[in-house]
Amino acid sequence: MYDPYKALYLHIPFCKQRCAYCDFATRAADCDDPAIADYVDELVLEIRRASREGKLGSIETVYIGGGTPSHIGMGNLSKLLYTLSTSLHLTPEVECTMEANPESLTEPMVKDLWALGVNRLSIGVQSFDDDLLRKLGRVHDAETAKRAIACAQTRFENVSIDLMCGIPGQSHESFAADLACAIEAGVAHVSVYPLTVEENTLLETLVESGALEAPVEDVQAIMMETALRVLDPAGYARYEVASYAKPGFECRHNIAYWTGKPYLGFGTSAVTMTQNEARRMRVQDGQVIDDLDRRQMCAEDLMLGMRMVQGVSDEQVGAAALLLPESLTVFRGLVEAGLAERREGRYLPTVMGWLCGNELYGRIFDMAP
Amino acid sequence: MRPSGLLMHERQVMTQDPKYIRNFSIIAHIDHGKSTLSDRILELTGTVSSRDMKEQVLDSMDIERERGITIKSQAVRVDYRADDGELYQFNLIDTPGHVDFTYEVSRSLAACEGAVLVVDATQGVEAQTVANAMMAMNADLEIIPLINKIDLPAAEPERVKQEIEDGLAIPADDAVLASGKTGAGVHDLLEAVVYDIPAPEGDPSAPLRALIFDSYFDAYRGVVALVRVVDGSMKKGDRIHMMATGIDALVEEVGARRPAETPMPELSVGEVGYLVTGLKDVSHVKVGDTITNAAGGVSEPLPGYREVKPMVFTGLFPIEGDQYEPLKEALEKLSLNDPALIWEPEKSHALGFGFRVGFLGLLHMEVIKERLEREFGLDLLATAPSVEYHVYRQGGEMISLHSPQEMPDPGEIERIEEPYLKAKILIPPDYVGAVMDLTVARRGTFVTMNYLSTTTVEMLWEIPLSELIMDYFDKLKSNTKGYASLDYEFDGYKPSKLVKLDILLSGKPIDALSFIVHRDKAYDRGRILTERLKEIIPRQMFEVPIQAAIGGRVLARETVKAKRKDVLAKCYGGDISRKRKLLEKQKAGKKRMKNIGNVEVPQEAFMAILKVDD
Repeated sequence: MYDPYKALYLHIPFCKQRCAYCDFATRAADCDDPAIADYVDELVLEIRRASREGKLGSIETVYIGGGTPSHIGMGNLSKLLYTLSTSLHLTPEVECTMEANPESLTEPMVKDLWALGVNRLSIGVQSFDDDLLRKLGRVHDAETAKRAIACAQTRFENVSIDLMCGIPGQSHESFAADLACAIEAGVAHVSVYPLTVEENTLLETLVESGALEAPVEDVQAIMMETALRVLDPAGYARYEVASYAKPGFECRHNIAYWTGKPYLGFGTSAVTMTQNEARRMRVQDGQVIDDLDRRQMCAEDLMLGMRMVQGVSDEQVGAAALLLPESLTVFRGLVEAGLAERREGRYLPTVMGWLCGNELYGRIFDMAP
Repeated sequence: MRPSGLLMHERQVMTQDPKYIRNFSIIAHIDHGKSTLSDRILELTGTVSSRDMKEQVLDSMDIERERGITIKSQAVRVDYRADDGELYQFNLIDTPGHVDFTYEVSRSLAACEGAVLVVDATQGVEAQTVANAMMAMNADLEIIPLINKIDLPAAEPERVKQEIEDGLAIPADDAVLASGKTGAGVHDLLEAVVYDIPAPEGDPSAPLRALIFDSYFDAYRGVVALVRVVDGSMKKGDRIHMMATGIDALVEEVGARRPAETPMPELSVGEVGYLVTGLKDVSHVKVGDTITNAAGGVSEPLPGYREVKPMVFTGLFPIEGDQYEPLKEALEKLSLNDPALIWEPEKSHALGFGFRVGFLGLLHMEVIKERLEREFGLDLLATAPSVEYHVYRQGGEMISLHSPQEMPDPGEIERIEEPYLKAKILIPPDYVGAVMDLTVARRGTFVTMNYLSTTTVEMLWEIPLSELIMDYFDKLKSNTKGYASLDYEFDGYKPSKLVKLDILLSGKPIDALSFIVHRDKAYDRGRILTERLKEIIPRQMFEVPIQAAIGGRVLARETVKAKRKDVLAKCYGGDISRKRKLLEKQKAGKKRMKNIGNVEVPQEAFMAILKVDD
């Protein structure tokens, strides 16, 4: 037996074009490409099957990601959202996010998505600097991004944007201006990512050939701190490594990932996490990619907890010690190393622990390799 | 190729008539195709069928085959039915092809009457060609020049003949033109061996005198020696006496390698073969020693024996502390076969428990380290190699220093002497300047220079061994576009102004990083090394100052800045597994590092001293 799934992820692996830095499962396809419709039909079947099997009864959040969901057009999206509404209770209490790119998010689409039960839009803005957008291989420009946000906000209160820092050529002023734009637009949620050079991407080729400078970690660190310094006083509290939200607008779907809730993923590369109290498995494209025992689950929960600003409580660490006897020593070591601090009965990541997370998470994972 | 047929009476002959024995070596510069040529000889004489032919049969160790070098001597007996109709016993002795093993080469040559000098038809005469030819001449061997690889389009046999005549004073008009690859010329070579190389001479009725030119440990039979019988004979059941070590033993078996070990009733005058002693310690059966009868033996040993002494020393430390015992056992096992390998326990504050190990040279060191890692599955960290310094204390007491950590206080030292080498470098004339610059920078003293031909200059130098092991050969190669070849021999100890340079990480001296250097170069080495370490040591959670100092005086300082950011920002559904994998990889990377006072130091740091640019 396994615990009920709480979150549902649907992957749309199509884009207008692939961005330079992107290593996601996606491909460029015209929006009227019949392959898209076929793919959506498959997804629909999967959702219906899961519903019949009773797997969707406890779903609290839905996330349609990509790729570029907005790229596949309202026809395909309607099919998908209609199926969702008949397969699970898409009540206002269920957070239903869809990712959109500025160039394909149109006014009629915004209205229709809202009507079909989507209640959160996550817009891939990345930057408001046209030069940088071009460098990243994005389709849109800053004007389009601003228009898309405004358009989304005509219906949606819960609009999130992604911003990127540490892009080669990005000045501190330019990044600060991006943050200001986000605040001025009044979006509810901002994600701030440092640009990462992934393997087998155009960006990697460009960096390796010397055509583009490699992102500098020190610069990224400064910009991540700038984001905190600018967004926090503007009412956006950081609640996770890369996530800022106005009160009440934290992304519940992502929080499910970070709090050890089971999730279902449909579509290419989507991951399903199934667990009971003794075992946690992740399956992707029919392959088991993780098979964790109690101890490993416990270490993973602690590690994910330390990604969030709230950290983990003394009780959690104490309970973990039953399975991982060294956990208390490890957490004290984190405090000693300046990666965490202990406050009000909790271990919280420090700024260093936030920016040098791999060190912090590594020490926790090491308890149950 | 079918084996040469033996006539009935030839099979029954018990004692081999020395008239039909030819003992010879094949000598060459590295990569000139010696081993391939040996293989062709085995094939052509039917000793090994071409079907069973593993490339380079004589190089038996994997590492030897991979690196294309010979480390241990090998002796193979082949029967050759010559064009004159007679059946000859050929003993082909393959010698180590590297300067680290010069002594072994000289002993192998002493077991022969002749040598085939192989010269690459495209490369011509190189330093080890000269060195090996000199050694063969000193051993009074008949030399048959052979120009190899004539099948290559770039082959220039005429030019190479000229070089052999000009540079080595060996008549090369009748040099054998051959190709180990195609087998061309190999028959000519075998006939030249019959006609040009003299048969061995010796007294069959005199007491036994046999030269040991290699020995190794066989787990089932004890120490096995490769020997050349000079006088008398030996057979199973004989009691024998090793003259230098004073050890007696019982002959358990004698025979020849064809190339599989084949027992024979006896080994008599002129023959080369193996001898099973049942002894347990390979150091009792030393290369160069003379074997005689335990009772009624000779009193005069064969000339040329000397103790082999290690020249290069390094600390070997297990990366995981629990591998200390396995490392010790592995060293014990390798020592069984390698009396030149010496070691003693060493403790480092930085690296824990390990061993200080002495080697014949850099290649020997690399080979041993690789075997320890590969054959015994050990993860090892090697400190920078050092040489044996002679430190004279005030009052005259001399200490042999194998490790910088043992250096006494400067105040107690009267003088320090270090080992010097006579180095011979062969280069095209264009590179004389480049070699001058490099070698002078390495404290070399120029001795003389000769033009061996219009295209080859021989330069002689005196250079400290400690400089040579500092990446000198790689530098020499790159500064001469690969043309230079190098050969050297030990030239005794000379006084030097040497100091111990300490490296400090986060203010603490790291014993395993300290090294001994000439005073005039201490500042430059310290500066370059701190710069290099700054690149090698990854950024940590805190700032790491790196200092180079003599005594308390800091010569150079660099800082590894603290890590500012190291986090995978995205962590959604599938990213969690990805992150786990990334952290595992990161952990595996850390495993290759040594944690010294909280600083993660990668292994290369300990070798960085070697790679100092001049």
